[in-house]
Amino acid sequence: MLKNIKSIIAKNQVSRKTKNWLLILIGLSILLTCSIILSISVGYLDIPFSNIIKVFLTNTPGINNFFHFPVSSTETALILQIRLPRALCAALVGAALSIAGAAYQGLFRNPMADPYTIGASSGAALGATSSVILGLGITIMGISTRPFFAFIGCLATVLGVYTISRVGNKVPVQTLLLSGIAVSILFGAIVNSYHTLFPEKFRQTAFWLMGSFSYTEWLDLWSALPFIIGGSIVIYMFARDLNLLSLGESEATHLGVDLEKMKKILLVATAFVTAAAVSIGGLIAFVGLIIPHLTRLIFSPDHRILMVSSALMGAIFLVLCDTLSRILIAPTELPVGVITAVCGGPFFLYLMRRKKKIDAS
Amino acid sequence: MVQLKVNNIDCYYESTKIIENISLQTQTGQFVGILGPNGSGKTTLLKSISHILKPKMGTILLDDKDIYTLKANDVARQMAVVSQGSNVAFSFTAIDVVLMGRSPHLSRFAVESENDVAIAKKAMAYTGTLHLQDRLITELSGGERQRIIISRALAQEPQVLLLDEPTTFLDVANQLEIMDLLKQLCDNKKLLVVGVFHDFNLAARYCDSLILLKKGKIVATGSTDVLTSENIKTIFNIDTVVKQNSITKTPYIIPISINHEAPKRSLTIHIICGSGSGSSLMKQLFDDGYNVTAGVLNLLDTDQETASFLKIPITPEAPMSPISDVAHNDNLCAIKKADFVIVTSFPYGYGNIKNLDAALFAVKQGIPTFLLDDSPIELRDYTKGQAQEKMQALKNKGAVVVQDENALLSALNYLANKHVADKANSPQSITAVTDTLLEVSS
Repeated sequence: MLKNIKSIIAKNQVSRKTKNWLLILIGLSILLTCSIILSISVGYLDIPFSNIIKVFLTNTPGINNFFHFPVSSTETALILQIRLPRALCAALVGAALSIAGAAYQGLFRNPMADPYTIGASSGAALGATSSVILGLGITIMGISTRPFFAFIGCLATVLGVYTISRVGNKVPVQTLLLSGIAVSILFGAIVNSYHTLFPEKFRQTAFWLMGSFSYTEWLDLWSALPFIIGGSIVIYMFARDLNLLSLGESEATHLGVDLEKMKKILLVATAFVTAAAVSIGGLIAFVGLIIPHLTRLIFSPDHRILMVSSALMGAIFLVLCDTLSRILIAPTELPVGVITAVCGGPFFLYLMRRKKKIDAS
Repeated sequence: MVQLKVNNIDCYYESTKIIENISLQTQTGQFVGILGPNGSGKTTLLKSISHILKPKMGTILLDDKDIYTLKANDVARQMAVVSQGSNVAFSFTAIDVVLMGRSPHLSRFAVESENDVAIAKKAMAYTGTLHLQDRLITELSGGERQRIIISRALAQEPQVLLLDEPTTFLDVANQLEIMDLLKQLCDNKKLLVVGVFHDFNLAARYCDSLILLKKGKIVATGSTDVLTSENIKTIFNIDTVVKQNSITKTPYIIPISINHEAPKRSLTIHIICGSGSGSSLMKQLFDDGYNVTAGVLNLLDTDQETASFLKIPITPEAPMSPISDVAHNDNLCAIKKADFVIVTSFPYGYGNIKNLDAALFAVKQGIPTFLLDDSPIELRDYTKGQAQEKMQALKNKGAVVVQDENALLSALNYLANKHVADKANSPQSITAVTDTLLEVSS
C-alpha cells in the first residue's frame, strides 16, 4: 500500500482528489484531538488545558525524559485513569459504529441501514449480557471475553436477519428494517427477562445497555481495539468495491467484484467491529446511521474517504455526546445513548420523510 | 482483433431451461443485435456472455479462452456491460461514476491516477458528457445518465461492449443519438457491440447482424435481411410490411394488425386507386370481410405493395408505364365482376387517365360507383383538363360523391347489411343508393 502511494507520488500523479482527502483527514484529526482534550478538561472537576498538556508531556514514554512538570496526583490520576480512557473509548466506539454503519449502508445500498436498525447491536448486546449473566464474562490475561460473546451474538443476528429478509436474490430494505426491529424487540425481551430472573446482576448490565461510558477503563479499550482495528482494515479493503456496488449488484459484478465473497467477508468484519463497540459502550443508537450519512453529504460518497472520515466524525460526535452526558445534569450522568437518540431520532425521521418524497416524485 | 464465440450453450434458472443450443460467432468491429419478444431469453443470453450466468452446456470463448475460467476482473478488462435501467444508490458525481470503470485496471488499494482521470474524461468527451462531470449522477436526466453509464463502460477500455436494451427508457432523439454513438464505437474504435433491443426498426437500421430469438432458441441469424415478414410473424406473431428505408437502405418494418377473424361477405368491391390513395381503404375493406380487387396499378406503386401484402388481386401494369390496352381490358373484366366500384382521389396524368375511362365503364354498366373526393380534381389534374371533363361526366352519369372515407365505409356496411346491392340493379337504384347514403350521413 505504502509502495503504491510512493510510486504515485514519485510519478507526480497525486490527483486533486487525493490532496483533498488528505486535507479532510488532517482537519478532522485536529478536531478529534481538540474534542478529546475538551472532554478531559470539563466535568465535575474542571482541569485547565495547560495541566492536561503538562500531564501528557510528563507521562508519555520517550518525551518524559525531556519534560517534567509538577501536577497534583489527583489530577494526574483523573486524567490518565478516568477521563482519557473514557474519551478514547468514546472515540473508538464512535469510529467503530460509523465504519460499521457506512459498510452496512454500502452493502445494502441503502442509507437507512446501520448496526442498530438491522439488529446487529441488539444481537451483540444479547451475547454480551448472556455472558455476564451466565458468568462467562471473565478476564483472561487482562483481556475480557465480553467482546467475543458479543461477536457471536452479533454475527448470528446479522446472518439471521439477512437470511430472513432475503427475497429471492434481493434484500428489500423494508423487510430488512422490519426484521431488524423484530429481532431487536425479541432480544430486548430476553435481556429484560434476565434482569427479572437475576436481579443481582441487573446493576452491572442495565446502565451499560442504555449506552454509557461510565465504567469504561483501559481494559475495555484494549479488549476491543484489536477487533475494531482488524475489522476496519478488512472493511476498508472493500471500500472501492462498495463504490462499485452502489452502481448496482450486476454492475459491480461486471466490474470484477466477487459479490458473494465480498458480502460474506463484510458481514463478518462488520460483526467484529459492531460487537467490539457494543461490548464497550452498550447500545448506542443512531451514530452508525447519521454519521455516515452526514459525512457522505459533507465530503463524498466515495467509500475510500467516507470510511475514514466517518470514523473520525463518529469519534468526534461520540466524544462530544459523552462530554454532554457528563455535564448536562452534573453530578448525575445521563446515558450517552440518550443523547445520541435525542440527536438521531429526529434525523432518522427526516431521512424517512425525504425518502418518501423522492419515492413519490 | 478479438473474436467472440458462443458454442451451443444451454442456460438454466434453477431447473428451468431458458435458452437452448445457442451459437454465434462474431468479432470486433461488428454491431450485433439480439431481438425477440419478452421471455425469449435475450437478456439471459447477454447475462451468459457477460460472465454472470454460467451455461450448463457449451462454452463461451473470448479469443479462444473460456470466459468462465477467467477471473471476473480479467473479463472486466476486456468486456464492459451496460445493464438495463440501473440506478446509482448514492450521490456520486458523474466523473466519479465514470472513474469506477477504471477499477478493473487498478490494484486493490490504488487510487485513480491522473492517467485514469484522463481516460475517464476522454470517454466522457466521446459521449458528449464532459460538461456534466461535476454534476450528481442522481440529478441527471435519463438520457444523460445512460450516456454516463456508457462512458463508464468505455473507461474500462473494453474490446467488447454488451448492452441490455440501452434505449428503452429514452425519447426518440436520445435513442438515435445513443445508437449513433454505438455505431461509431464499432466503426471507429473497432469495438464489438452486442445489444439486446426491443425496437426492430432501430436494430435493423444500425446493426450489422441480428439474432432472432424465440422461446430460447435461434429462429434466424445473419444480416438484417433476416428481418422478413415471415420471420417476424414466427417470432412476434404479428403481421408486418417490410419495406426498405430509402434513405438508410435498411429494412423498415411496419407492424399492422390484420383482422383475420372478420366474417367473410359475398360482396366484391373494386377500387380504382394509385400512389397510396387507396391503401387504408383496401385494409379497412379487407378487415370488414369484403372481397376486394384493385386496378390498374403500376408495380412498385404504394397501393400495389399494400395489395400484395393483403393478398388482394389486382390488374397490374409494368412500373412507370402508361396503362396499356391489355391492362385496361383486364381491369374492365375485373370491374364487371364487382358489386361496387370506388374511385379514390389521386393525381391523373396521361399514363393513368384510362382509369377514369374504367370508372365511366362501371357507371355505364350500372355498378354503383363512389367517388372519394377529399381534394379538388383541379389540383390533381395533369392532363390539361381531360381528367376534369371525365370526372364531370362521371358525376353526371350518377356516380356518388363521398367526402370522406369513414362515411363511405359506414354507408357500404349499411348497404351490404340491407342486401341492397344486386348485380341486376338498374341505374335508378343508384339514385336509391344516393338517397340511402344521404340518409345515413345525415
